[in-house]
This record gives sequence, structure tokens and C-alpha cells, in this order.
Amino acid sequence: MIDFSNLLDNLLLNSSKKKKIDFLSDYFQSQTQQNKIWALSILSKSFVNKLVKVKDIKELLKGKVDEDLFLYSYDYVGDLAETFSLLWPKDNSKIINSQSLSSFMSSLEKQTSKDDLIIFLTNHFSTCLPNEIYTTIKILLGGLRVGVSNELLKESLSKIGSRSKEEIEENWYGFSFPYNGFFEWLNGESLPKQFNSKDLFHSFMLSNPFNENLIKKIEIKNYTCEYKWDGIRGQITVSKNGKIYSRNGEDITSSFPELKIKSDKVSVLDGELVVKKENTIFSFNELQKRIGRKKVSKKILSDLPVHFICYDILFFNNLDVRKLPFFERRVFLQNYIKKLNHPNISISPLINFVSWSELRSIKENSFNNHIEGIMLKNKNSIYKSGRPALCWYKWKRDPFLEDFIIMYAQRGHGKRSSFYSDFTFGCWIENKINTLVPIGKAYSGFTNDELKKLDKWVRDNTLERFGPVRSVKPGLVVEIAFDNLNFSNRHKSGIALRFPRINRIRWDKPIEEVCILDDIKKLIN
Amino acid sequence: MKNWLIKKKSGLFCEPGNFYIDPIRPVDSALITHAHTDHARPNNKKILATKETINIMKIRYQDNYCKTKQQIKYGEKININGVHVKFVPAGHIIGSAQILLEYKGEKVIVSGDYKRRYDKTCQPFEINKCDTFITEATFALPVFNHPNDKIEVKKIIDSIKGNSDQVHLIGVYALGKCQRLICLLRDLGFDETIYLHGALLKISNYYETEEIDLGSLKNVTEIKDFKGGELVLCPPSALHDRWSQKFKNVIKGFVSGWMTIRQRIKQKNINLPIVISDHADWNELIDTVKEVSPENVLVTHGREEALLSFLKKKGYNCGSLNLLGFEDEDD
Ligand SMILES: [Zn+2]
Ligand SMILES: [Zn+2]
Repeated sequence: MIDFSNLLDNLLLNSSKKKKIDFLSDYFQSQTQQNKIWALSILSKSFVNKLVKVKDIKELLKGKVDEDLFLYSYDYVGDLAETFSLLWPKDNSKIINSQSLSSFMSSLEKQTSKDDLIIFLTNHFSTCLPNEIYTTIKILLGGLRVGVSNELLKESLSKIGSRSKEEIEENWYGFSFPYNGFFEWLNGESLPKQFNSKDLFHSFMLSNPFNENLIKKIEIKNYTCEYKWDGIRGQITVSKNGKIYSRNGEDITSSFPELKIKSDKVSVLDGELVVKKENTIFSFNELQKRIGRKKVSKKILSDLPVHFICYDILFFNNLDVRKLPFFERRVFLQNYIKKLNHPNISISPLINFVSWSELRSIKENSFNNHIEGIMLKNKNSIYKSGRPALCWYKWKRDPFLEDFIIMYAQRGHGKRSSFYSDFTFGCWIENKINTLVPIGKAYSGFTNDELKKLDKWVRDNTLERFGPVRSVKPGLVVEIAFDNLNFSNRHKSGIALRFPRINRIRWDKPIEEVCILDDIKKLIN
Repeated sequence: MKNWLIKKKSGLFCEPGNFYIDPIRPVDSALITHAHTDHARPNNKKILATKETINIMKIRYQDNYCKTKQQIKYGEKININGVHVKFVPAGHIIGSAQILLEYKGEKVIVSGDYKRRYDKTCQPFEINKCDTFITEATFALPVFNHPNDKIEVKKIIDSIKGNSDQVHLIGVYALGKCQRLICLLRDLGFDETIYLHGALLKISNYYETEEIDLGSLKNVTEIKDFKGGELVLCPPSALHDRWSQKFKNVIKGFVSGWMTIRQRIKQKNINLPIVISDHADWNELIDTVKEVSPENVLVTHGREEALLSFLKKKGYNCGSLNLLGFEDEDD
């Protein structure tokens, strides 16, 4: 297991992509088959433990480490796994160095109840080094945060065998734990017999953000324009089984049964899932009520019917059209949707325009609770996963800007773990001397210097501490940028902001000048 | 501690002796525990310190190091207006001392910075009994258990062997850590020339005059092309500034007790963390307090809360002596 711990540390401490790939491919080349499959499962985030949670891990230290000392340490270190690993009482005589990742993971998998797992962990921690304790907790609680995306993993795997990154990409979603035949296939053998290539998820083609400099660089007549719908990206696989996948390739068919379509011929559609009823598209909040359901009741199906707005087509009746240019795929898409004639599926219409200024006004006037801006797509671009350059651009509407007051602060994660960097902000409920109501949370948008200043401000103005969270004296105003807002009965304030982030810190602005809740509600159209 | 040792704006002040200990701004009379810049500052009128501390202050501050100086040997007793003063080794860096004060039968020890591990470059910490012990608390959290320094130093040697195409740029505190690290490397048989940033060279040359053999050292400026495999030491602040950009294919290391914590390592963009500290770790702090067995403990200089909470539970009469102006040394 120490090899895997070392791998994680090397990945954490080396931010260069090349170095990370070297470490990963070295690991995969030097390890046993069993270690490889577990490492792959953990690094690709497909291994998930549901038995123990953060509080169970904390519980393990009770009676072993003084509670105050734990809190002081946790506050300083900022990461539970690391604090735990450094505090767990060491007994050098019991430490065993020889356990492999696979033997550890398979014993871990044998623990079927929480109680068994806790006993198992207590024994395990007493026999291993702090680094291994750290790794174990990271594996159990998830969130390795070592900067390894599945893309990077695929690229590293392309270095150890005879398969290109594209080939790996194409078949990636057809393999799952214990990855039978995967490493053999990487080495040039054919795909395993049971491999199902029909229902495979295909990684999405994504867009790059548009910036004004591109106006001089790209030829406007080569691009088409359509709206950027504010739902969730999805992929419909029409096949013998019929599947719907999320942006990460997760099978979400059971949440959206109205879009499951079976056919002997395979077709794959790329589009946006939205809730639409009687020609009205609902806000993202309504869509959220449909996400993550295993079963969908009749009532929900009729109250919040889901609709798929198609952007693109990847396979047309068994024909792979991804290498065709966008405008040709569009013809296939139109034909397909017309024949399909499905009440819950339509095409994202192209918007006519002749000039940049016209485009800009389309973008700014697209204000609507289900449109985020516009998409520009190169007519000649093939369908390629990832974010290929010069192909697709998203041009978002300028965000809303409003001032709010910081109410709570929480320590950040990863690099920022010793700083208070996540903030809950709010505004006045009625008039400016009474109480504040929280509106949202924001954690991005400032430089390291600002982060340090904010951190200091939080420490100097703390009212109360609740674990990693501190409530602070109302006193600091921040300008929040957000893309959209909607009514929401899940929030105390009754409204929900989309993608709030701190735009600037208004060190000088008095809190009395911040607006009241009703002013914010008026922004919703 | 009665009222004869008090906290003032300029630092810890001994009323009957009319002197400060490690003052943060210039005063008439100062006792200096050791030559680190947050303890030994320039422009005091009169200083009392060990020979090594005074010599290093002279190298650092030149004419401003003080107006008049008085040397004191370890173990030597001096009477200042009825206060008996004695300096004993603190094991922190060359010339570092704990200061023992005795006034009207009451004994106080100001520990300064200290460590308990073996260090070839200085005399080991000496236990002395007292009524009040003023201890530092730089690493006063139970997460700090400094590992064996030989194992840590070997990581540098192994990394150089395994990555012979890369320059190893290692951040070390200029005074103490740098020379201790070099001695440890030499003891493990590392005989190559070590390249030093100018800021480290002056102090290292001084160590050699004190007959501490550091082997072959060269100023970084003496070499134009680094082929890879060289070991370069620099102050921590230089690791990421413009100076360090001249090294192309580089592994960056940092030798410090802080390197225990992954997120600290990550924040500082370090690839090769080496945990060697010139301060006592958690267990050493506690053991030291036990051995000194004072009636009162005052904690300063670091993470005081955790140590205070622990000592209180153990029945010590203790408090925090919040002295300003002391930074985390290795930062
Ligand atoms: Zn020091
Ligand atoms: Zn110090």
C-alpha cells in the first residue's frame, strides 16, 4: 500500500501534467494486475464507500487523543485525513510494511457492516504508517484532490500499452471494476467477449469560453449561433436497452424514463435536459427536483415533464457521423428528430445573424430563466470529445452584480485548507437595521493576497465557531456576480442564485448600503 | 513569576536588572538568546550574548549590531543589579542559549528557541531546574513528531541519485539549518560540492572559522551551466523568486518542521519536503517541561493554546506570554 501512498503524494506535490503522467504510468507499469485494478478504480473515482462517514472517522480517535488537542490540530492542519494520520497513536513494533493495496482493498470490501468495518480499520491503522492511514481515509471518504482527472488517467494509460488516447477514450465507459481484459486490451489484445460496445457513453464535446479578442481572430461566417440552454447536459443512446447518460457518463436512465428509447439500430444524441410543460421551459430549480431519482412517480412525471433539446448527433442508425462537419451532422440530426417524432425531444434551433454586433445583442437580450447566453459553433468542426480549440464557444450573458454582507466563513479545501475561503453572504430582511438572511455561498474569485486579507478579517471578527465554520460580525461587503436567479422554496431567503462568485471585496462600503431582500426578488423576471 | 519580569512594548523586561531579553526594538540594554533575526535585532546600545551570537550579529548588521557588547560563556555567572544571570546551551543553533535569571531566590528560565535532538553544529540543550519556565511553542501541536533526521537527509541524496538530470534547489534557513543539513549530508557520505546562495555563504564561512567542517562549498555564481544532479541551497524566500528562475529543470525542496503537513507543502509548491527542525516537537516540548519541573510555565512564540490546554490538564500553573514580533522561523 505504501507504493500507492507514495503515488498519491507525488501526484499531490507535482503540479506539472508531464510529471503526473510519468508517476501514473510508472505506477501502472510496475504494479501487479490486482494493484492496478484497485488503483484505477480509486483514481477514476469509481470506488465509493458508503459505510463510514466523516463523523465515524472522528469517532475513532475518541479516547485515543484528547478532544481539545484534536480540535487545535484539526484547525491548524485543515484536513481530516491528515490530522487523523498524524494523531493516531503509533506503535512501531506493530507496523507491517508488506501489505499490498489489493490485499488491503479486498479485506476492506469484505466488511459488510459499519461495525465490522470500524473494527477492521482500528486494527489496520495500528499496523501501518501515517502515510498509509492518510491514504486509507482518503480512499474511504473520497476527495483525493491530487489533480488527476479521468482525462489525465487515460493519457497516462496510453503511455503503457499500444492503445492511443482516442482508442482508450472510445472504450473507457465499456469497462468497469474489476476491469476484466482492460490491461490486456491496452497491450494489444482484442476487446473481451462480453464487452458491450452498443450502449457506450461517448465523452462530450465541450466549448471554450468566448472572449472579445476572438472577434478579430475568427471568421464570423464560419459559425452558427444557438442558445445556451440552462439545464443539464445529457446523452441519449437509442439502442436495444435505451440509455441516458449525464455529463460524466453516469447512467441516469431511471431518473428520466420519458426519454428512454429502444431500437435495434444505435443512435446517439447530445443535448440539454430541461423541464418543459405546455411550451414553457421551467427554471433549473424545477429540473433539480428530477435529478438523482431512482424511481419517478406519476405525479412528478406529469408535474415536471422532462424535455431534451438536441444539440448534436454522434451516431445515426448505426452510422458513426462524428467525423462529419457540424453542418452535415445537423442534416442527419434534423432527419432523425423528424422521423423519431417524439413529444419530449426537439432540436435546438439555429439563430440567424449577420454581424458581431447583432450577436452581442442576441446574447444580452437572451435574458430568460432558462437561457445562459449563446453558443457559437464552427460549421466545419467534427465531433471530438474534450474542448478542442476553435470549434465551439460559449458566450455567456454578462452576470448580475450585487453587493452582499459576509455572514459565515468556512475553511477551504486543498491548497486553501488553512485559510477561511468559503463564504456565506446575505442581505437585510426588511430594513437595514434588522436581521440578515443568508442568500448563497461563494468561494472563488480572489487572489492569494486577498485570500490572506479575508482570512485575517474572519479571524479578527469571529463571533462563534462551529467546527470548521465561523460566524462573523456583519461588517464586510462583497460584490457578488451571478448568472441568474430564481425563486426557490428550498432556501430560507426564498431565492436561489446561479453560480455566485465574489467579484470584488468592498472593504470600504458600509453594510447599511446593502439592499434588502425584496430588491433582489425584483430582479427575477 | 513575581513582578520583576514583565512584558513591555519592546519585549520581555527585567525590572531590577533594567535589561530586556530579545527585544523587538532598540533598547539600552539587551540579553540575546541567539542570533536569529527575530531574536537578535540591530541598534541596541548594549548587548550581552555568547561569542557566536555576537559574531553572527556583527556579520549580519555590521556597524549597527550594537554600541557596546559583552560576551558571556555558557555556565558563566554575572550579577546585574542583584539579578544573577547565566547562559546555558539551548541546542537550537550555534551559540544559542537559555537565559537563567535568579532574583531574591526565585529562578526563571527563558528558553529562547530550543531543540533536544543531536546537532553537530551546537552544544546540546541543558536541563536546569527553575520556578518559572518560559518555553517556546513553535511546533506545539501533537501532529508534530519530527522524524529521524538521517532518514530525511537520505531522501535528498536518493532524489539526487534518482533524478540526476535535475538541479536540486533546497530551501534552508540561512543560519543553523543550512550548516546542520550540510553536516548531516557529509556524515552520510555525500562528498560532492554543494552550491550556496550568497546569503548562506557568509554564515557558512563563519561556521568554518569555528572549526565546523562543511566540506566543499561554492557560491552559485561560480557556475554558469548546471547540468543536472547539482545540489543548490538557498534561503526559503528565494525558492520562488526571480533568482530561482535561472534554474530550468529543477526539483524544489524545503527543509523545515512545517514540511510535516501536506497542505503546507502544497501551498509552498515544494516537490521534495524534508522534515528537519531546529525546534522541539510536541513530545520534546512536553518532556522538557517535565524534566525542568517548574512550578509555573509560560508559553510564547507559536501555537500556545494547545500546549496550555495540555499543561493545564496535567496540573501545571501556566499561562500565555504573548510576545509580539516573533515569526515562524522557517517560514
Ligand atoms: Zn531561532
Ligand atoms: Zn524564534
